[in-house]
Amino acid sequence: MVNNDTPATDGGGEASAAEETGTRRSNRFKKLDERAVTEDGFVNEWPDVGFVAMESPNDPAPSITVDDGQIVEMDGKDRDEFDFIDRFIADYAINVERAEDAMDVDSESFARDLVDINVPREEIVELSTAMTPAKLVSVVNHLDIAEIIMAMKKMRTRQTPGNQCHVTSVEDNVAQIAADAAEAALRGFYEVENTVGVARMAPLTALAQQIGAQCGRGGVITQCAVEEATELELGMRGMTGYAETVSVYGTEDVFKDGDDTPWSKAFLASGYASRGLKMRYTSGAGAELNMGQAEGKSMLYLETRCILVTKGCGVQGLQNGGISCIAIPTSVPAGVKEVAAENLITMMADLEVASGNDQTFTHSDKRRTARMMPQFLAGTDFIFSGYSAVPNYDNMFAGSTFDSSDFDEYNVMQRDLQVEGGTRPVDEETVLEYRERAVKALQTVFEELGFPPITDEEVDAAIYADGSKDMPERSTAEDIEAAEELLEDGVTGADVVKILAKNGFETIAQNMLGILKGRVAGDYIQTSGIFEGDGEFDIVSAVNDPNEYQGPGTGFRLEGERWEEKKDIRFAVDPEDI
Amino acid sequence: MAHAQQQTRTLELTETGVATEGTATDEVVISISAGFNELKDETLAGVNLADVLREMMAGIEEEGLTPRVVRFTDTLDLGVIGLRGAKLSGSGISIGIQTRGTTLIHQEDLVPLSNLELFPQAPLIDLETFRAIGKNAARYAKGETPEPVPVANDPMARPKYQALAAVWHIKEMQYKDEDKEPMELEVSF
Repeated sequence: MVNNDTPATDGGGEASAAEETGTRRSNRFKKLDERAVTEDGFVNEWPDVGFVAMESPNDPAPSITVDDGQIVEMDGKDRDEFDFIDRFIADYAINVERAEDAMDVDSESFARDLVDINVPREEIVELSTAMTPAKLVSVVNHLDIAEIIMAMKKMRTRQTPGNQCHVTSVEDNVAQIAADAAEAALRGFYEVENTVGVARMAPLTALAQQIGAQCGRGGVITQCAVEEATELELGMRGMTGYAETVSVYGTEDVFKDGDDTPWSKAFLASGYASRGLKMRYTSGAGAELNMGQAEGKSMLYLETRCILVTKGCGVQGLQNGGISCIAIPTSVPAGVKEVAAENLITMMADLEVASGNDQTFTHSDKRRTARMMPQFLAGTDFIFSGYSAVPNYDNMFAGSTFDSSDFDEYNVMQRDLQVEGGTRPVDEETVLEYRERAVKALQTVFEELGFPPITDEEVDAAIYADGSKDMPERSTAEDIEAAEELLEDGVTGADVVKILAKNGFETIAQNMLGILKGRVAGDYIQTSGIFEGDGEFDIVSAVNDPNEYQGPGTGFRLEGERWEEKKDIRFAVDPEDI
Repeated sequence: MAHAQQQTRTLELTETGVATEGTATDEVVISISAGFNELKDETLAGVNLADVLREMMAGIEEEGLTPRVVRFTDTLDLGVIGLRGAKLSGSGISIGIQTRGTTLIHQEDLVPLSNLELFPQAPLIDLETFRAIGKNAARYAKGETPEPVPVANDPMARPKYQALAAVWHIKEMQYKDEDKEPMELEVSF
């Protein structure tokens, strides 16, 4: 990009053209050109290759033919023309018994049922789980954004909304990760997710994160997003408690590029399920386009295929909402609406949804908040599939829409609108206390395992750090050796529990043991399962906390203790003190 | 961005035949993608590809090793071209790079998505980093355990470049030829 100081819009460049030709410019427009939003990448629609969020002219029309209990024609294709995704969806993801009834329903009238408080969720799911991809898309295309919000409120699987965060470090600094995971857990996140700058660091960062999280609140589950086989191994070893980096795609070519098929993904899913590990898939608008293989279809249509592949694999949930390709749908018209629509279709498939809002797509504070509002107002199982609990410069998922510097604003927004956003206000003193305990526990575990020592200087820095810039240098090469040793020596979560218990960190040990026991029981692999309470390991899921919203006075309401907690932000003035 | 510097270097890549499995343990393969220097002669961030290749090769040579450049045309997947380059490399080490600048260091016994070092944010990789990547690849080839090249992280790289990167990728797909074998290239600047 040959840029002068004026941030021209990407690809276009018209903004600076006038200046170059010496044309006199409007001061208003010059000022507007300085706004953050002009730094974002915007692209005009190009439906031939799939650069279109919703309603591509190449999307198929809904149709179905069932013969002897088998789908023999779907969305305009005969069975012998099916690609492997069509075939998988037809055979495993659609309730064939109800398919003809579901397809007979008028799409607009079904869209109305979605927002009608008098039509209960079960009635919708009965038919929405019997629809083809094109049918689901045609239903949701009838909704505007306010109606999508209303439908989400009713359709998410678990009644109580929650949140997930990222805890990562650009230096993969383990002391910092342990302390930040403790703080994140204290702030109310149900799930904490890590990834790495250097792939081989994963065993250590996963370990640091788990110890930190269990210090912050017993029952927070953790994952480490790395290459799929490594991620499974870390889970099996008890270094993590769930996984979500299992990607599925909406076109056969993209699947094949990744050496995968829906069947291979189903096989991987069974690997997790058989070990009692919670798992969800990952997809999201724009991925197929990013790979150059969108077949001219709209992002929403291809994403709907991903949702149904997930359903067909028997997986309990999905993270979608753009996710790592979010800047692609949001670069085209109706892209933000599209990501809300894909979240809604996931709910209509009766799956848990972690609804995105994680990765950065804009330079504009207003735009990132606006993108979040549908999921925030409606409430989803996880409003963010990764709120950055560290500064964005440390966020190794390439940044999140909200980060640690937004904690107070996010809490205030919950207070302003009386909405459960999944975080709570905390006080500085308690945070420091938890950060200290977490990093000291990790220091001890490192010492006992003979890993490169975490010095007292590092412990002190980690307690007070905002991010890795506040941390002393640490040798990544030495840590990588330790990480390899951890894998070679067969160290497991149980070994870590023993070390913690022996060295006076009994509560953390108990909590980490609770996570391991949870895997044996396997109850938290029910749809949308989380652990509530602190160290009590109460499972809340779509089974025992189903979404029963049916209009005013029903469903989840932010009240009682949770509401009292939200009200108490740290800089509010008490009138009695004046 | 680090481009408006010296006079523009030009890059000529000449095919010398199908790339074969190397036996020299002192070589590092640089795997380039289908449209490298064909679709564009600079990365997404405007860094001249001639300079990019020259810095990586210099980094390898600085460690006393020899670079080999191979173009993969049958796939654009960086994990795959990186890994296949490593399998062709006598040392088992390769650097994979796409036209837009996304780069990794790979080793023959790993799986495509698990690599030695990855630089996913193409717009953040400057010439100094490309040289360091060459140097580190050579050090892995010698069996050393170097400190990984520091990974740059800019949370705003995605909003600025991702959609554009997708457009580039779609255009680079037009250079893909599924039937063509990886080709050994002679490099001249």
